Parts: sequence; structure tokens; C-alpha cells
Amino acid sequence: MSLIQTENLTKIYGCGETAVTALDHVNMQVNAGEFVAVMGPSGCGKSTLLHLLGGLDRSTEGKVSIDGTSLAEMKDNDLTKLRRKRIGFVFQFYNLIPVLTAIENAALPVTLDGVRPAEARQRAAEWLERFGLGDRLNNRPDQLSGGQQQRVAIARALVAEPALVLADEPTGNLDTKASDEIAALLRQVSKEYGRAVIMVTHNPRIAAYADRIVFLKDGKIVDETLLERKNGDNAKMLADKIKRIGD
Amino acid sequence: MNLQLTLAARYLAGRKLRTFLTTLAVVFGVLVIFGMNIILPTMIAALQINAQGAAGMVDFSVTHVSGEAFTADLLPTIQAVDGVRAVSVSLNRIVNLPADFYDNDPARPDVLTALSLVGVEPEAARSVRSYPVTAGRYLEASDSASTVISQTLADSLSVNVGDTFSIPTVNGITELRVAGILPPRTQPGNEEVLVTLAQAQEMTGETSRVNTIDINVETTAGEARHAEIQANIEASVGEDYHVGTLMAGTEMFASLKLGQAMMNLFGVLALFMGGFIIFNTFRTVVAERRRDIGMLRALGASRGTIIGMILAEGLLQGVIGTAAGLLFGYLLGAGIVKLAGPMLSQYINLKMGEPVVTPALLSMSIFLGVGVTVLAGLLPARSASKVTPLDALRPSVAEVEFKRRAGTGSVIGAVIVALTTLALFSGNPALIVPGGFLFLVGLAMIAPLLVRPITNIFGRLIALIYAREGTGELAQGNLTRQSARVAATASATMLGLVVIVAAGGLISSLTVTLYDLMRKSLGSDYLFIPPSIALWNSNVGAHAGFADQLRAVEGVEAVSTLRFAGSIANGQAVSLMGIDPATFPEVSGLHFQEGSESAYQALADGHALIANSAFVTAAGAQVGDMLELITPNGPVEYRLVAVATDFLNVKITTAFISQADMQADFGTTEDVFIQLNLAPGADRAAADASIRAIAVDYPQFKIISGKTYFQSMKSQMDAAFAAMYFLLAMLALPSLIAMLNTLTIGVIERTREIGMLRAVGATRKQIRTMVLAEALLLAAIGTAFGILGGLYLGYTFVSAMASIFPLGYAFPLTGVLAAIAVGLLFGALAAIIPARQAARMNVVEALRYE
Repeated sequence: MSLIQTENLTKIYGCGETAVTALDHVNMQVNAGEFVAVMGPSGCGKSTLLHLLGGLDRSTEGKVSIDGTSLAEMKDNDLTKLRRKRIGFVFQFYNLIPVLTAIENAALPVTLDGVRPAEARQRAAEWLERFGLGDRLNNRPDQLSGGQQQRVAIARALVAEPALVLADEPTGNLDTKASDEIAALLRQVSKEYGRAVIMVTHNPRIAAYADRIVFLKDGKIVDETLLERKNGDNAKMLADKIKRIGD
Repeated sequence: MNLQLTLAARYLAGRKLRTFLTTLAVVFGVLVIFGMNIILPTMIAALQINAQGAAGMVDFSVTHVSGEAFTADLLPTIQAVDGVRAVSVSLNRIVNLPADFYDNDPARPDVLTALSLVGVEPEAARSVRSYPVTAGRYLEASDSASTVISQTLADSLSVNVGDTFSIPTVNGITELRVAGILPPRTQPGNEEVLVTLAQAQEMTGETSRVNTIDINVETTAGEARHAEIQANIEASVGEDYHVGTLMAGTEMFASLKLGQAMMNLFGVLALFMGGFIIFNTFRTVVAERRRDIGMLRALGASRGTIIGMILAEGLLQGVIGTAAGLLFGYLLGAGIVKLAGPMLSQYINLKMGEPVVTPALLSMSIFLGVGVTVLAGLLPARSASKVTPLDALRPSVAEVEFKRRAGTGSVIGAVIVALTTLALFSGNPALIVPGGFLFLVGLAMIAPLLVRPITNIFGRLIALIYAREGTGELAQGNLTRQSARVAATASATMLGLVVIVAAGGLISSLTVTLYDLMRKSLGSDYLFIPPSIALWNSNVGAHAGFADQLRAVEGVEAVSTLRFAGSIANGQAVSLMGIDPATFPEVSGLHFQEGSESAYQALADGHALIANSAFVTAAGAQVGDMLELITPNGPVEYRLVAVATDFLNVKITTAFISQADMQADFGTTEDVFIQLNLAPGADRAAADASIRAIAVDYPQFKIISGKTYFQSMKSQMDAAFAAMYFLLAMLALPSLIAMLNTLTIGVIERTREIGMLRAVGATRKQIRTMVLAEALLLAAIGTAFGILGGLYLGYTFVSAMASIFPLGYAFPLTGVLAAIAVGLLFGALAAIIPARQAARMNVVEALRYE
């Protein structure tokens, strides 16, 4: 059984004549250790899909299941616990708490889970060191570069040992070099640490780091591509594809 | 440290100025409540120590419940009580000394401001107390004009055995010869001047009467036996007498209690404002931190965690603010005790000790200070917990929600405003007082609804000024779009101004009424004023002959005197003032609330009384009631014929009876306050000389002309009002600065928009103008609300005072004008920093700002 799967997942914003269908009967599944990129033109429903997968928003129709449990039937508190233990988030704007240091930010999910502060720090420090931030533990977000901030955010996403990491345009706010670093890091997360990673992006070069690409258009899955690591320019192939779909 | 506390502390530290200002509001509220409540118990403690000092080694003292003198008929009854070993009667009176009485040197501070005259039967007195004479001899029954004093008093008077010193009495100045000297006095309280009972009775005009019976009981008596004997004595003397330590200063208590109530009201108002400011700040904080909160929620923080985080911030501010408030409150209290101590010991013979902090007061102050802050954080915390994780990603969602909620709030606010307005017209103080506070809450809630119409009105004005560039319209648009935030800012301004206008209302009503009252009560040509105004029983007055002498002076038209007796009616201590119903209305006068001048005739007919409103309220009496007054000769019925107030006794439960009744029922003929009018066309210089010549023998009275007294009272009152305005300004300041705070946040929130305006070609000046116009609009809204709320609250104060002191409501024009000036000035001031900040913004950075 796959880690996360959706059945006819549908999200409609508004009602009556102004109703907008953001997601239209989406069926997908992702396995543990798999790195999936979701691509598509603006407004295709990428972010909505991610929010529904992460239990941040509720679907209009259809369902999302994680480990076989349907999110639709969960209460807010149970959803909160699920997010805390099973899902890690990475956002475009990092969303670090500005008044907390790198290590405190990274430790947040386990601190919220009631882990002893010393242990929480210990675990956060381990992840930050793995991501090359060992000398930045006590810096505040405003003392870090964008790439460093995003690495803190990824450490935060992993500190509670979740099965699933959701990344919404994680490189959207970074320069090319930092973007590549972050994308490589996310691949490492799925391969080395065995997490399922679902990443929304519209950058073909970044999407090329994934194992599988899901193309969305007007709320529907229009194409799925498995990437071969061996052959040449995946990024160019993806760029061509997105251009075709966009048209 | 706990996560919530860490976050709270970090966020607070990140906004030092804002934290400081909001906490300041809590500090101020706690300071006022705590500081002021320290002072009253300290005064009570001082009064008790003084009373105990007077009681000395005596086991029990029997006094009349009214505090008045009585005949010693009870003595045999008490002596017959089982367990009583010795009994001694005495007549104790505090003699207030006029300034510079002994040293005649205004430059030197007076060492002695009052003496305690004690008349005893020499042998009986020795059976209850010891008088170890160190020089000369003890008193003998046959002594006349002799006294025994302590070494300390002898030293300060520079007298020795055989020397004489003078002391004011009802018969003029009396010379006393020092017969013996006692060891230096160690107890606090007034120095005693020990004379024979007969001597004291003559000096005070209390012929054949005493006011204390001292009792010593078996020395071997244990505690239980002691209580049994006390019960037996109580049974034998009946309920008209009080057994225990000396009762002191009931009038004092009444005045202090009133002052305390006013201060508590003030403190509660300050805390209320503090709570409101914190509420507003938290509302902004939640809006400002929507992203952070959404993030935390996405990471798995539960709603409870978020509520906890906001409440922890409130708690921290509450704890710190309360701690600082307690500290400064203590310093304030101690400072007042220290500063006022010498003054009090001068005017009312009160030696104050260290400030008294009761555990109850401490816990109440902490409870109020911390409670208000946490309470203020509750609603914003709840709305923070409703921020969804998605808000971290889509900030616009929350804004919509914020507006919608403000809508429901407006409906509730409108209901509150409507109900409280009805309460105002009901005229019922029980409804009006809480109504005043609710009205403010209602106004704050209704604010979002009113933003649009008000900005439309003022916007037109501003558009006229800045017509060419359209910045006025832009500012107006900004405001109407964010009505909830505007309402928060405007209500902060409102609160600051409410206090100014409300106090303006109270003060203008007070001044108008008090000045009118003063003119009526103290409008006579001459006033003979005793050392303590309104604390009548500590004054030594003059026998009736003094007033007669004055009447005989050529050119004097009328002389009216006040006499004093303490009594109890309906279980309420009351100051009785004896007046001559015929002359009193000519020279002085009362301000009638119920009944009319014809009440004087009822007084002349006998056993009728005119009560002031303080008494009527406290005793729950009505015109027409028969009241039982406790007199030294038992209860006597008086009919309440009118309710009226004079200036001197305004704050004290007082009733006026005829001097004839007072003489018959209380045996008092001593004049404690005298007013005199000259005949028109009299030779003023000659009359003045004669009057002053007669008064020389009565130095306890200060002679002044009514006009001078009126002026001096007026300047005293003006000073008191100025002090109040100063305190109010301190109250208003934090909330006005809160407006600056919110305005700055408004600029930060719109960084991107401002960047856009700059990008499309708005000049710095235009940006500045826009922010300024916005601030002025905000200030105008806040000011409009402030004036509305202030007028209501002012009326509330005035009607709350009605039970103590009825006032006519006077419209506070000065207060309203001051509020408009202050409000707009602050609006402009508050805009300067954000406007500069907005204008200086780097366009590229601003556009990128998230």
C-alpha cells in the first residue's frame, strides 16, 4: 500500500456561478522514499493539491488517505497531531518564526509535541549539522541567507521524523545556485532518509531532481512522467513538456 | 523554558517600545489602586495607635457611642460589676493649637500642634494608671489652675516646676502652673496636660460631665475571665455606651473612605484603559503575526497552544506591569505618607507610621493587574487560534475574516450603546455607573461601522486641503478598506480623550456647584475658623459669651455660630451641627436638595433636623422620617424635615439641629465656628478693631474675612484640580501613544502598496501627505468617539457623586475643546514618524516586501 493516496479529490472554491473548480477528481498515490514533483501553469491547482495532501484544507469531494486513514473524517485536533508527527512542510518564503533562532525554529515541531527541550534541541542540531548549518545554530532568520533559511526550514520539516515532506515552491525565492542546493537536499531527503517528498514547482530544472513528475492543468492530472536518471537533459525535456501543456 | 513563554518573551522583547507602552498602562492602574489603598490603612493604624496611646495601661475604657460627654451616673453600676478592681472618670479633650502659639515665630516649624487635656480625679486616677512624678508633686483634689506634664512637654515649652504656660480654652486663654513633671513620654500621640476634673470641666465648658470611664480589673484574670468581665460591663452600661479602647476619629474615617472610593474608581478606570490598550495591541499583534501563527499551526501547534502563546504574552506583561505597579505604588504610598505625615500631624494630630500593606490588598492588586491583562488577551487569543494554517500561505484570507467578525461585533456594540443610552435617561445611578464603562466598550465595538460615514465627512475636509493630488481620497480609501484596524486605533485615541472630557465634565460640574455653595455658606463678612475644619470634635471652641460679646460690638449686624455634637442615628455616626435657626440663614446658608428655607422654622419649633445628602444616603432616611438620635441622656426622636448641604460638611454625614435642642439633649453650648456680618454703613475700621480686640483671648480661632477665605479655598481647589488634570494627562498619554503604535503598524503592513505608489510616480511628499491625512482622519474619528464617550462618562461620574454630593451637570466646553486640540495634535504628531518612514522607503525593497 502506498503512503499517501487520493481518490477523486475535488476542491471547489465559492458556489453558484462564481464557483471555481481548483481540483477536479484527482487520483494519485505516492510511496515511501519517492520524490514527486507537481508541475503546471499558474492556477492549475498545484498549491491546492498540496494543501489538501497536508491536511491544511478540506476537500469538497473525494478523499486523501495517509497510511490508509482518511483525513476527511479527522477532527481538527487529530489533523494537527497528524501534521506534527507524520508531515513536514517547506514553503516558498521559509516561514521561519522571526524571533526564534535557527535551532529553535528547527526544533519547533518536536517542542510542540512535548519532547523535552534538551532532546528537542539535540535532534534539531543533528539535522542542521547534516545540512551544513552547524555554525549557524544560534542565528536568527534575519541573520541567514535565503538558502540557509530554507535549509533551516527543511531541517524543521524533518525533525519530527515524518513519513511525508510537502514542499510548496521551495526554490521560488532563491537564486539558481541556492535553488540547486535545496533541490539536491530534498532528493537526499527522499533517497538517504527514505521520506516521501512531494514538491510543487514550475521550474523544470528543479523538477528534474524528482523521480516522477505529475502535470496538472485546470485541476486535472494531464500527464505523469517517470524520469530516467541515466539519459541526458531531463530539464529540457520537462520544459518542452510544460510548454506543450501550457498551450 | 516553556515554548509559549519563550515565544511570548521574544516577541515582547522584539517590540520594546510597544511592550513598554502597553505595560505602562497596567503599571499605572495597579499603582493607583495599590498606592492609594496603602495610605488609608496607614492612617487607620495611626488613629488606632493614637487611641491606644490614650488608653494607656487601662483594661477597659467606657465611652458614649456618640463620643459625647455624659454625667457620671454610671459609676456605681460599673463599680458593682464582679471583677472590676478600680474605676476612674476623666474628661479628655484634644486642644488644637493655633499656628505659632508658643514660639510666636512663623519661620520655625511648630513642635506642638495639639495637646491632650485630661481632667481626672487625682486619687481615683492613680488607681488605674501610674503617675511616677520625677519633680514637684502629683495633683491634689483641691488644686486649681495646676497641671502635671511630661518632661518632654516641659522641655518643649521651656518650663519647670512652678512656671506657668497658657492654653486656649472655651473661656479664653487660661494660665496653668506646673505642679509636677512626669518622665519623658514614650508613646505616640499628643502630649497630655493633666489637670483636675473640675479644672478640665471649666476649661471645656462641660460642667459636671465626663467622657471616659477607665476601668481596671483583677490582675490575675485570664483571657476568658477578661472577656467575661467585659461582657458584664457591657451589660451593665447598656448599648448607648461603648466598652473597649477609645473610639477615635469617626469623621476622619468617613472622609478617608470617600477619598479611597474616588481613588479606587480612578484606579479601576486606569486598569480598564490598560486592558483596552492591551486588547487593541493584541488585536494588531494577531493581524501582524498571522503568517507566524499559520506557520505554527501548519507545523502542528494546536489551537490551545496558540491561545496559550498569546495569553502568555498577556501574562508576562501583566506580571511585569503588576510588579512594577506594586513597587511604584508602594513608593507613592510611602511618599505620600512621608510628605503628608507632617501636614496631617499639624492639622489633625495624626502621627502616621510606616505604610501598611495588607495581604488582601496585595492579592487584590495582583489579581486585578494580572487578571485584566490576561482577560484583555483572551479575545484576540481566541481569534488567533482561528487562524488556519493556510493563512501562512494566503494572508488575504484572514483579512476577510477579520472584517466579518468586526461586523457581528458592531451589532453587539450597537445594542450595548442603545441600552446604555437608555440607562442614562433612566436616571438610576445603579444603571448609569456600569453603563458608563459599557458605553465605551459598545463604542469601541461599533467603531468599524461608523468609520465609513465619519471618514466621508472628514475626508471631504481633507480633500479640500489637498485637493490637487488626490492623496486625501487615497487616505480615506485606505481607512474605509481596513475598518477593523482603524477602529482599533481610533478606540485607543478615544480612550485617551474620554478621560479628559469625562474629568472635564466632573470638574466643571464640581467647580460650578462648589463655588456656589461656598459663596452661600461662607459669604459672611467675618469667619472665625478653628484649627480643624470639619473635624469638629478635636477643636476647642468658645463659650456662648464670646459670640454675645461680638454681637455687642458697634456695627455688627448678626452673628451666627455652629456647635458640634457627635451622635448616632439609624446605626450611622453623624456630626450634629447646632445652628440658631433665626440668625443662621441671614449670615450663612444651606443649599437645599429637598425642602426649603421654611425648614429653619421647623428647627426652631424643636426636635427637627436638616440632614445633608451624605447622611441621608448612608442612613437610608427620607424626609418626614422620625430618627432616633443617641444622646448622652438616651435616645431622642427627631423629625427629618429637609435635605441640605453646606460647604464645610459636604463630605461628612451631618445633620443640623437647633442650638436649643443641642443644649437640652447634648448639653453642648460651645461654639466651634462663628460667622459675622456687619451692618450696612457700619464703621468697618472701628468694628474690625473691636472684633479683633475681643478675639485676642480666643487664639484658637483664625479670623478672616469671608472673601479672603473664599479666595484661599478657591485657590486650594484650583490646585487640587490642576493635580487631577495632571494625573489624567498621565492616564491619557499611554493610549495616545498607542495610536502612534497602531499607525506605524499600518504603514508597515502597507509597505508593498506604498512601494507600488512610489513606483508609479508618487513623490515622497505625496506619500507623506497621504500618511498624514490618514492619521488626521484617524484622530478625527477617535476624537469624535472620545468626546461622545467622555460626555457620557462625565455624566456618570456626576451622578455617581450624587449620593455623596449632589452636583448640577455642567457641559465641559473646555474639556471638549481641549480634547479636540489634543486629539488632532497627537494625530499629527503620531503621523510624523510613520510618514517619514513611508516616504523614505526603498521602492524595490518595498515591492519585494512580503
